[in-house]
Amino acid sequence: MIKTTFQLLLLTSFTASVVHADTLKINGSTTVNLPAAEAAEILRAEKKMDIQVDIQGGSSGGISMLGEGLVQVGMASKHVNEEDRAKFPKCEFKEIHIGEDAVALIVSADVWEGGVKSITKEQVKGIYEGATTNWKQLGGPDKRIAFFNKEPGRGTWEVFANWVYGDHKKAPQVSFPEVGGNEETRNKVASTRGALSQLSSSWADGKTVFALNIKAESGELIPPTNENIATKKYPLSRPLFLLTNGEPLGEAKTFVDFVLSERGQALVNKHGYLKLADLK
Amino acid sequence: MQRRFSFTRLFSYSFSALAAGTVVAMFVLLILQSLPVWQHEGLSFLTGTKWFYRQQQFGAAPMILGTMITAFTALLLAAPLGIGAAIFTSEFLHPRLRLTVKVVIELLAGVPSVIYGLLGVLFLRNWIYDLLTPFDPLSGDTLLTGAVLLAVMILPTVMTLADDALRGVPVIQRHAARGLGLNSSEVALHIALPQSVRGLLAALLLALGRALGEAIAVFLVVGRQDNQWPYRLLSMQPLIQSGQTITTKLASSETNIAYGYPLHWAAICGLALVLMVMVAGITLISASFSRRHVP
Repeated sequence: MIKTTFQLLLLTSFTASVVHADTLKINGSTTVNLPAAEAAEILRAEKKMDIQVDIQGGSSGGISMLGEGLVQVGMASKHVNEEDRAKFPKCEFKEIHIGEDAVALIVSADVWEGGVKSITKEQVKGIYEGATTNWKQLGGPDKRIAFFNKEPGRGTWEVFANWVYGDHKKAPQVSFPEVGGNEETRNKVASTRGALSQLSSSWADGKTVFALNIKAESGELIPPTNENIATKKYPLSRPLFLLTNGEPLGEAKTFVDFVLSERGQALVNKHGYLKLADLK
Repeated sequence: MQRRFSFTRLFSYSFSALAAGTVVAMFVLLILQSLPVWQHEGLSFLTGTKWFYRQQQFGAAPMILGTMITAFTALLLAAPLGIGAAIFTSEFLHPRLRLTVKVVIELLAGVPSVIYGLLGVLFLRNWIYDLLTPFDPLSGDTLLTGAVLLAVMILPTVMTLADDALRGVPVIQRHAARGLGLNSSEVALHIALPQSVRGLLAALLLALGRALGEAIAVFLVVGRQDNQWPYRLLSMQPLIQSGQTITTKLASSETNIAYGYPLHWAAICGLALVLMVMVAGITLISASFSRRHVP
């Protein structure tokens, strides 16, 4: 009986691994997902490629699933760091730069209309560490600050923490309500009074959520415009990557090449990010 | 006596063994994988109120509390509705209509939980946010939102199992009661209900088990805020604040981060173990209730 069970187990695990062997699997950052999913759609239609794009766990999900060999292409809105490489020694992470994005600090309409249009790094730090809890302290309406923190492991969060604390590992551990993907973040900030969160600037539509200007020490207001992102004047920008294990091969290469082609780069631009040509 | 070889017996034995073996293997795996955190934290893994993974502090109490608060509140909301509906369908509705209603409600039980989650994000969050305005909640993401969503999700389970339990009361007893001059409400209240208490309890416990284990729907509306430990244990305050449950923690990005760090990974597996024990305990209790209830 045990032998039968064992054989059955073997049989089921074998069939499970055979199905969809030639699907190109992609996973990672919701930010990179926008152009990547559209590129995948075009390739499915034009080259009859079988591509599956997922957004489990954001950038670190993309890195770990590529590291474990569960996907062929990862998507990330942050660099693969030494720790990631140490965690997955068998994977030779290759970063393929496809564009640039900025992280905006977004607020809900009542805060924006209440007069808060800019924020300094010190003020952000105050909110993050719990010293500032009311918009009144920043010259806004008398309303508690409902701060939604991006989950740790998200590219957005790391860019934010690198800016405020120099290195995201130096950021204190805090307990705020957490948000994950961009869709969720925008939805929750838009529907909550006194809300603040970090969000990819291309998602800050200026209708339901509003991107604050960053107030530099000189007093200058810096909005997250394309020009400011390209010149690095806006301090919270980040590269967008496709990740592969070693040089991309086969279908993964077809996909990467398409995203780097003129049409693929136009998709990057279409979703509000800077394409590579804009950065030069 | 020589038994004849039977494929049916062979297959039923081997599949039962496979099922039982899987459960045992899961427990063993989770216990082994979570060993480092028990060595590191000891019992304070269960009683500690601070979870800061970068400082290697793993106290799961707020999540255990969050799980219990959402699940029990959900049960509290779903129980009267579900049992009430079951009394109606089993005692008062025409048998043919009863089946139609039951099928429709059982369909509800099959709706994928992520759909409930999305409806929760779209509507329930905002309704609860508006409803709680007098208490000035920080947002619509609260344990109460999670609990109400769970209540909707477990309602079909409660209703259909309670209906089965009530129908299990022998017809002859109803006839006897009617013969003694009781009207149909009295039969429902004094004959059917008391006779089916065990079955009803089993229905509630099974629903509770489902509420404890539900992840994605709650994930989207509960706020996922760590370390929410109330000043007073029995206050209502946690209900109107964001919180975290064991399942929402397991579904969060921390599971990705933990991979490769033995202690952090052990803490995540420890949470899974606690949840497994809770759900298994409740399932066992409910099984013991329903087994002794012979319709």
